[in-house]
Amino acid sequence: MKRRWFLYFFKRSLSQRKGRVAIASLAVVLAVSIITSMISITSGVREKLGSELKAYGSNIIVSPGRGSSFPFETAEAIRRIDDVEYAVGQVFTTARLGKESIEIIGLDIAKLREAGWRVSGEWPQKEGEVLAGANLKAALKIKPDEIVSLEGGRGRTDFRVSGFVERGGAEDNAVIMPMASAWRLAGVNGVLNAVLVRGRAGGLDNLVSEIKRGLPEVSVKTFRQVASAEESLLSKMQLLMSLVTIVVLFAAAISVASTMGANILERREEIGLMKAIGATGSGIRIFYLAEALLVGFIGGTAGFILGVASAQAVSRGAFGSFIPAQWYLPLASLIIGLVISAGASYFPVRDVLKYNPAVILREE
Amino acid sequence: MPLITVNSIIKEYETAHALRGVSMEVKKGEWVNIMGASGSGKSTLLNIIGGLDSATSGDVIIDSVNIEKLSEDELAVFRREKIGIIFQQAHLIPYLTAVENVMIAQYFHSMADESEAKEALQRVGLGQRLSHRPSQLSGGEQQRICIARALINSPELLLADEPTGNLDRENTKMILELLKKLHSEDHFTIVLVTHDHFVSTHGDRILTMEDGHIIRDEPVNDLRS
Repeated sequence: MKRRWFLYFFKRSLSQRKGRVAIASLAVVLAVSIITSMISITSGVREKLGSELKAYGSNIIVSPGRGSSFPFETAEAIRRIDDVEYAVGQVFTTARLGKESIEIIGLDIAKLREAGWRVSGEWPQKEGEVLAGANLKAALKIKPDEIVSLEGGRGRTDFRVSGFVERGGAEDNAVIMPMASAWRLAGVNGVLNAVLVRGRAGGLDNLVSEIKRGLPEVSVKTFRQVASAEESLLSKMQLLMSLVTIVVLFAAAISVASTMGANILERREEIGLMKAIGATGSGIRIFYLAEALLVGFIGGTAGFILGVASAQAVSRGAFGSFIPAQWYLPLASLIIGLVISAGASYFPVRDVLKYNPAVILREE
Repeated sequence: MPLITVNSIIKEYETAHALRGVSMEVKKGEWVNIMGASGSGKSTLLNIIGGLDSATSGDVIIDSVNIEKLSEDELAVFRREKIGIIFQQAHLIPYLTAVENVMIAQYFHSMADESEAKEALQRVGLGQRLSHRPSQLSGGEQQRICIARALINSPELLLADEPTGNLDRENTKMILELLKKLHSEDHFTIVLVTHDHFVSTHGDRILTMEDGHIIRDEPVNDLRS
């Protein structure tokens, strides 16, 4: 019965103060959405940046331990190891283009796309199409779709240049073509001169050991600078995002506290009156806490939806794909909404309750 | 045995003395008016008797309970059981209707009862204004809700702080007649603070205060004569 009347007065308070409740809820929605969005982005940024960094190249090179080549299947064996993001087998040869001797890199073009290489123009689609490095393009004034005639160990072959790559490495001075074309040009078959591997940042030493254990006849080296720079970048980025999230959490909590605190101060007379007519501290607190929890629930739920949507929009804009959903985020958003809302209400009510009713009512 | 015994109450603020050792007694069923100029300490004394404010020193004993020794929550419980309070400003909750403003006092006391609350409002002549919100009512009507709220839990003691202070003469008479009628029917004790001589001529006794002291204690009849 008492609960029924509590709910009655609670509903009356809400229905007659819709505007105030809406403003308080909006403050919590904004706070929770910003925090949820930051948590979501912070959690996803490592993975997203990691995959972005893929495009900057491999961090391990596997080469033959003895001789100058190893079987084509070596690349496949490496690809099967955990923590290998990609492994691209390469065959190196040279060919003449007019009077110039140029480097030829043969590899699996599909794997390059998977590795995040970016090409201006088009990827080779069929036999006889190649990519040219940016330096080569400039030096030899190669135009898109130009036919180049390359002379290798097995005679002269014409290739169409479908696109260009610029990576700041040896690829910029070379012609890159499908493996089979390079084999034909070099007069070899089924061999590789190197496998470029990209391992997940942070676990490279383990990966090197694992490759060596599985393929004892090969030589494995890490590109230390690339690996450590990536690891450092990822760690710093995550630390930065975490700090920004904490700052945002405080700023949002202060904003909610000031909105809800103003609401409570506006109702000082009401609190003083309740006290004067015989309400105990807990009897009064429960009214305001119930409202704060409702506001927190609305804010937490709506804030979660808005926060996830904005995080996905940011991710889509920055990384071109969505952030994977975190299982804990709905619960975390709700808890954040409830805690900041209840906290923002609890302390002002506690402060008002410290005063004698006479003091509060005299001020009104 | 008196219902209220006030012993040597002192109330000091940082820069002023509001009460300088006030002692008084009020018998059960008595109507006592406290008069005095602004700043004489009369409202402070009433607030301390009602447990709405605390004394710097001294005792207030109501119905054998020294309320100065009670905790905040014990005091709240004591207040809702024993005391009804009428303020100069009605202090009504703006988003509740007249009947709900009475029911909230019932809710904090024990259980809200709509029919009892309506009956209380009918007794103070507001039977036609049950569903009106405070902003839709006149000052006199708001004050009558305040009286209904103060009496709804059948208190032994009714404290009224300038209950007609904001009202015109006509509404003042109406409120005083109402208090007289309720007092004669229910026989509760009244302590009423006023600076209005006309108001003070109602009741049994008048205490006059000046500069934190009670300087006179006389029956109303003497004043009338």
